[in-house]
Amino acid sequence: MEKEQYDFIGQPLEIKNIGKVTGKELYSSDINIPGQLYAVILRSPHAHAEIKKVDYSEAVKVGAVCIGPQDVPEIIYNERIVSIPEKTYRDRTVLPKEKVRHKGEALVACAAETEEKAWAALQKIKIEWGKQWKPLLTLEKALSDDAPPIYDWVYLGEEKLKVKNNIACERNIEVGDVEEGFREADIVIEKTFHTQRVYHMQFETKSAVCVPEADGGITVWTTSQGIHNVRILLGNIFNLPLSKINIKRITLGGSFGSSIQMNSITPICVALALKAKKPVKLVSSREDDFYDHAKYPLKTILKVGVKKDGTFTAAHCRVWVEIGGHNIQAYPYLGCVAGWFASLYKWKNIKYEGTAVYTNKVPTCAMQGYGNPQINFAVESMIDILAEELKMDPINLRLKNYVGKGDEFWGQGPTVRSIIRSCGVEEMLLEGAKLAQWEKRVPHYQKKEVIRKGMGVARGFHTSGTGGPNPGEVIDYSGATIKINEDGSVDVLTALMDLGGGTWDALAKIVAEVLKVPFEKIGIYNGIDTRSTVFDVNTHATRGVYCGGGAVKFVAEKVKEILLNYAATLFKDLPENLVLSCNKELGQAIIYPREIPENYKTIGEIAEYAHTTSWGTLAYTSTLRQKNCPPCFITHFVEVEVNTRTGEVKIPRVVIMGDSGTIINPNLWEGQIIGAFSRGLGFGLLEETDYHPEDGSLRCKGLVTDYKIPTTLEMPKIEDIIVRSAHTYEPTGPFGAKGIGEAALSSVGPAIANAIYNAIGIRFYELPITPEKILKSLQEKEENLRKRRGE
Amino acid sequence: MHNTRFLTQEFEYFVPHTLSEALDLLFTYQDKRTKILAGGTDLLVKMKTLGIGVDYLININEISEIKNVELDKGLKIGAAVKLSQLEKMKAVKEEYPALYEGITSMAAIAIRNMATLVGNICNASPAGDTIPPLVVYGAKLRIVSKKGERVIPLEDFISGVGETILKRDELVSQVIIPEPYKDLGSAFCKKGRVKADIAKINLAVGIERDGDICRDCRIVLGSVFSKTLRAYKSEEILRGKVIKDDLIISAAKRAAEEIKPIDDVRSTAEYRNELARVMVEDTLHIAWERAGGKRW
Ligand SMILES: Cc1cc2nc3c(=O)[nH]c(=O)nc-3n(C[C@H](O)[C@H](O)[C@H](O)COP(=O)(O)OP(=O)(O)OC[C@H]3O[C@@H](n4cnc5c(N)ncnc54)[C@H](O)[C@@H]3O)c2cc1C
Repeated sequence: MEKEQYDFIGQPLEIKNIGKVTGKELYSSDINIPGQLYAVILRSPHAHAEIKKVDYSEAVKVGAVCIGPQDVPEIIYNERIVSIPEKTYRDRTVLPKEKVRHKGEALVACAAETEEKAWAALQKIKIEWGKQWKPLLTLEKALSDDAPPIYDWVYLGEEKLKVKNNIACERNIEVGDVEEGFREADIVIEKTFHTQRVYHMQFETKSAVCVPEADGGITVWTTSQGIHNVRILLGNIFNLPLSKINIKRITLGGSFGSSIQMNSITPICVALALKAKKPVKLVSSREDDFYDHAKYPLKTILKVGVKKDGTFTAAHCRVWVEIGGHNIQAYPYLGCVAGWFASLYKWKNIKYEGTAVYTNKVPTCAMQGYGNPQINFAVESMIDILAEELKMDPINLRLKNYVGKGDEFWGQGPTVRSIIRSCGVEEMLLEGAKLAQWEKRVPHYQKKEVIRKGMGVARGFHTSGTGGPNPGEVIDYSGATIKINEDGSVDVLTALMDLGGGTWDALAKIVAEVLKVPFEKIGIYNGIDTRSTVFDVNTHATRGVYCGGGAVKFVAEKVKEILLNYAATLFKDLPENLVLSCNKELGQAIIYPREIPENYKTIGEIAEYAHTTSWGTLAYTSTLRQKNCPPCFITHFVEVEVNTRTGEVKIPRVVIMGDSGTIINPNLWEGQIIGAFSRGLGFGLLEETDYHPEDGSLRCKGLVTDYKIPTTLEMPKIEDIIVRSAHTYEPTGPFGAKGIGEAALSSVGPAIANAIYNAIGIRFYELPITPEKILKSLQEKEENLRKRRGE
Repeated sequence: MHNTRFLTQEFEYFVPHTLSEALDLLFTYQDKRTKILAGGTDLLVKMKTLGIGVDYLININEISEIKNVELDKGLKIGAAVKLSQLEKMKAVKEEYPALYEGITSMAAIAIRNMATLVGNICNASPAGDTIPPLVVYGAKLRIVSKKGERVIPLEDFISGVGETILKRDELVSQVIIPEPYKDLGSAFCKKGRVKADIAKINLAVGIERDGDICRDCRIVLGSVFSKTLRAYKSEEILRGKVIKDDLIISAAKRAAEEIKPIDDVRSTAEYRNELARVMVEDTLHIAWERAGGKRW
């Protein structure tokens, strides 16, 4: 493994871009254009109903500009265009044309000089409803034979498909022969697991500002994880050439995956602006946002065969996901779930059957892990169940069967396969066990205290990007323009979004490292739009550093080549005889002939010379497709304290081991891991978007008062959160780096569930594990014991 | 659906500087939809989410007569006193620990900087966190109108969810908390989904100790009925008795039988029944120790 000396990579980051702390940072909702109108949305009061007529004439009379189903283009699209068109299901228009399919679906929008006026106008809209159906809120109901169809037909690519039994899509995969595998097994266990819908709760609610330009084009600021895909979609929907659409890259106030797709409000804002011929601003309220997106739930029936020595022989995994009223990305989701399942352990023979089902609920989309935390809960719970059955240490069973270096890995479903080249799994399990004092762990049946301690382990991973040796069903490339400015500072123009995790800082560091220019002299943070950048697919799939960073490294190296070639003419030497290094005292990159360092020139001097002699700009533009998507691994050792009188769970301490290859920004890397732990805590113990069974409304009414996520007070104390990195180097990554963001969440849920089992001997198959559920299970257990004792 | 980004209704807004000005306004507009605005941390939320219609809004925060706390044989807390002001007072923390614990269990500091004690009472939520402690301490309310004033026990003030006996031209000007009995032990306890949350259950207890005997006691629970509930039968078990563990256990059991919780977004009735027992038991222990009593 090569170990390089770096000037910038791996140093903790001193954050210079402090706008987020001082309030100076601009988000979409901060953009104000003179003469703009403000928009609000009328959302459906019904969960499943025919729209007969929308009459907004009274709203227009009070001065509002309105759009309803009759005003939006007929184009049926899917808001997420990360998958190739042939594998993309399409079922929606900008506003629904015939019927609404979930409560809170956007139906009409009004714009006026103030939000208040727009809202008052909205109250005057009359809607005539046709047939109404009782909402289908569960898998079972939606799949039943007498269920009303939510869609009659949808498109897959250009093909029109009839929808049967509300099944949105299916995916079945078989490798080897599971029946044979189960016959070889000594033990076969099957269990059913459920993970729930949760809400992303990103700080920034989705927003958009659209300006119709004099040339017939539009400029748009909007909450998005990928500006180019928004442009392509808007071009398609509104029949505009892409050259007339400019999407501004603007800071995101968090997303957790909720803005991978073009947000539903973005084309609504555009349609209003085009109709009004004025700038329009549309900012979602929190309740708008709650009714816009949620995390995919999952029901899993997992059956695993294992030999007495702990080797697996087969696994059969059946999953169902109820996706809500639109299919945003369920087909790739089912593929990814298959991949996460198939790539965690060497099952030998696998069979996977996935079904996505429409329901009359809020549409679901990716959320930190895209199915990974969901299926990981089933798999990592199952590993502990098997270990107990085998009387094996859970760590040993994991070590025996994990997919690691040299093995094949499905980075993004079955069509994106690559070979693992770096893997810290073993180190993380063994070192983590030491730090967590795993050897002191005692079985649950020895515990009698009121407050019972337990420890659980679970491991997970995520892909870094979606590239394979051959392009699969997923589009993945990134690019940049990099130029050395006239004073030797550097501009990096990339469309890649920073979701708040510090991706731009990482990219700036990578460029700094290649060009030896101090980090502070790299300009990356603002002034970017689709017009000034080449394509980048999206910041999703934990691809920011690996794919986006890979691309900027590639382009920076080209710029370096141009720089050295040009410098060679000045030094009257060969480029390969020149050394580029960073002179920290000067705060400049310098170039000198290898033998005579004192003869250096700063690249500021060189750039200035190129400028004053009219030689030109030292710059390069290109895109790059990464041909791998290496797994970044994670391992959680969680301690819990379960109060057997109240069912409450406390987490006093956690050890988290991560494997991201080379770490570009250690403090931000740790921040991702700790932040993900907090989200995992909510997923494991607390969060769920409940629905009213009759009318299909959210029981929290879209308000944070009744949708709780953990606060710092639910977290272990900072000194009790131990985060360590494995010592790995990813040969295909920029400076050896892989990703972290989504990996960091994947195994929190099952680690907590396994720890709770270790504390009280009760296995939970359903998240979240609330005090209510724990106390009830404890009482049932007590009851059963009493019965068995004949009391 | 609502939109919490802005207030969608129009209303007249007054900022009186004296109590009599405020009472005049209340009197004048008593037949209209008139509301007092203290911290607004309940009222504005309700105006946005429940569509409570308001024609006249009277902000009482600039009335100097009701902005202070009098420390004379107990506490007299003005209606415009902020919760964060109270939690910083030594007298509150030391003499009325259940009130202190109730206040500090509420929301985040930003809310407590705006919110008032009287607002928490007048909002009349079954989950109001200051109400059980105030009932334990035997608090009374001074109610004033243009026509005069009356003082009534807090216990008789709340009549249902969000409902009080306040007449349309009246406001609450002061909370009067009597001096506590010398050997009173009191404590507050609350369980939520997360630390800063509206309660699944909250409760306060107070025990007046005379040697080994519980001279008198109060056990008051919130979020278990349509209004704050006193567990009279449970109190009966302790009153006049020598306090022992088993007595506390049976009092706690009894309290859990007296409550009538429901299933809601925060928890289930079933869980609340169990939780109430555990919470009452633990809190009685704490209160008894604070009263100087020994543990058996
Ligand atoms: C984020 C958040 C968290 C919260 N957490 C908690 C919590 O943990 N526990 C809890 O108990 N509450 C909580 N609350 C609710 C609220 O903060 C409290 O009830 C607070 O004490 C209300 O006081 P206020 O001054 O803001 O009342 P306001 O909203 O101003 O008034 C509340 C009601 O009382 C009436 N009123 C106010 N003053 C008078 C008066 N002098 N005379 C007559 N009527 C009057 C008003 O007209 C209104 O109907 C929370 C609120 C928010 C927004």
